[in-house]
Amino acid sequence: MARAIAEAKPFGRREGWIPFLFLLPAFSLLALFRLIPVLASFREALYGNVFSAAGPEHVFVGLRNFEALLQDPVFWKSVKVTMLFSLVINPLQATLALGLGILANQPVRGIRFFRSIYLLPVAVSLNIVCLIWRLMLDANFGLVNGLLAAFDLPSQPFLGAESHALWSIIAVATWKGVPYWTIFFLAGLQGIPKSILEAAAIDGANSVQMFLHVTLPMLRRVILFVLVADTIINFVLFIPPFVLTGGGPQLSTNLLMLETYRKGFLFGDTGGAGAISVLLLGIMVIIVGIEFALVRPREA
Amino acid sequence: MKTVAVYFLLILVAALVLLPLLWAVSASFTPLEKVFEHVYPFSWRALVPQDFTWEAYTNVFQGRSHTAQSVAPQPGLGRPVVSTFILAIGTVVVGGLICALAGFAFAQFDFRGKNLLFSLVLLSFMMPVEVTIIPLFVLVKQLGWVNSWQGIWVPGLVHGMVIFVFRQFFSEIPRDLIDAARVDGAGWFRTLRSIVLPLSLPVLISAGLILFLYQWDAFLWPMVISPSQEFRLVQVAISLSIEEHQTLWNELLAGSMFAAILPILLILPFQRYYVRGITGSGLKE
Repeated sequence: MARAIAEAKPFGRREGWIPFLFLLPAFSLLALFRLIPVLASFREALYGNVFSAAGPEHVFVGLRNFEALLQDPVFWKSVKVTMLFSLVINPLQATLALGLGILANQPVRGIRFFRSIYLLPVAVSLNIVCLIWRLMLDANFGLVNGLLAAFDLPSQPFLGAESHALWSIIAVATWKGVPYWTIFFLAGLQGIPKSILEAAAIDGANSVQMFLHVTLPMLRRVILFVLVADTIINFVLFIPPFVLTGGGPQLSTNLLMLETYRKGFLFGDTGGAGAISVLLLGIMVIIVGIEFALVRPREA
Repeated sequence: MKTVAVYFLLILVAALVLLPLLWAVSASFTPLEKVFEHVYPFSWRALVPQDFTWEAYTNVFQGRSHTAQSVAPQPGLGRPVVSTFILAIGTVVVGGLICALAGFAFAQFDFRGKNLLFSLVLLSFMMPVEVTIIPLFVLVKQLGWVNSWQGIWVPGLVHGMVIFVFRQFFSEIPRDLIDAARVDGAGWFRTLRSIVLPLSLPVLISAGLILFLYQWDAFLWPMVISPSQEFRLVQVAISLSIEEHQTLWNELLAGSMFAAILPILLILPFQRYYVRGITGSGLKE
């Protein structure tokens, strides 16, 4: 409304090229380092390193990178692991973050102190978090096994067994991720007008009814946003498998981003890694499209 | 009754959050021989430094030239910490300025293609950088920036999220206020400095925190673009030291705490600004 008035005034700000001057530095960098790489990933996927007598050469190979990928059991295993990982971790994190948001929104004494504690995992980098947990989950001397031992429970090979490793990574990533998403839920909960909750209380709604019929519908947008944004981040998660397991054992934690890194930077197969990137990009475009529909500017 | 249940849950979650961190702090101040003592089986003593010592910190910071305890020579964390800090400050200042200018344009001007350009900004922060890391690497390599500071630094200067945060904030400055300054004959530079800047402390803190943490936590990109020792940043240095000193847990944790303390000291006092920054980008119009 205020904007409409400002625009209607004869003095509305149309300064010709001035705004573009303000945008120039940011958009040159965005174009160079964000937009061009997106376009270049298609090109990169069609090239490969061929080793000849003259040394490695970067040549056009058409769709051969994709053909190789489709026949690569390591890639398929990585796809399967990433799918399972995504299906578990995103609903898990969103649900726990919603729960923690409700808990941190309780009007009790000292709640600010607890909120500060819950912010700690957000402040510590993912890399450090994974390093600490790697030691905590150590099969022989780890603190978690120490806790199990204190209750006379048998030690677990948290990071060393195919049956455990992915779940351990999900647990560690969740420890780090939930407090971050809680921030969004807490902001959403604090944005619900008190009058609505009071009106529901006067109408005799109990706390379960309030949650289902008032809180949840009011949080719809936040829930969708967190689910989508979390899905995006977890789809390209790299550090936890890199630091905790290196993708093993038996590639059971070799998430797609780690596989891209291994192909591209450890095995020098930038074409193959580029082909995975194109596939990731395609999936991302779909998910980002959903997120974009949620947050796009409405004034247009 | 309900209050008791709430406190029970609050304390339970706090314990889950604090356990790894308290143990890490405590072990980092404990001599190596004692690090494992109370961990397996676990006793509360593991969360209190035994025979308090700074030894792990001095070893980690200075590095090791000779082979004590049959451990390979290890470069100290001092240099990576200083490098990362300087880069991060640079990102805050230069990146902050670039993003602020763009945010200001979106908030205060009407121009052709505004919605399209703003959509590009949104897309740029929704699409994770990791997806294009391979072509980005090829591109930066063609610029000749492999193993260089600019290779690490320049691609991370502009952040769609920070542009967004600035736009949100600047939209709330009444256009009349700025028009008044302009009518009085102030140029854009003076208007920004004398009208906009003094109002902007909150958004500068939010954006500064986001940018600082981004550079301080940067890991995959610095590792692939500038792998050589002299360009090593703090996260990469710590991560790579895992393999090199597997069994020196007190030193690994000392390095970790060393890297963790600065972000904690920045976020906790300014949590209101940090929260406003990240939530504003995701939820509000």
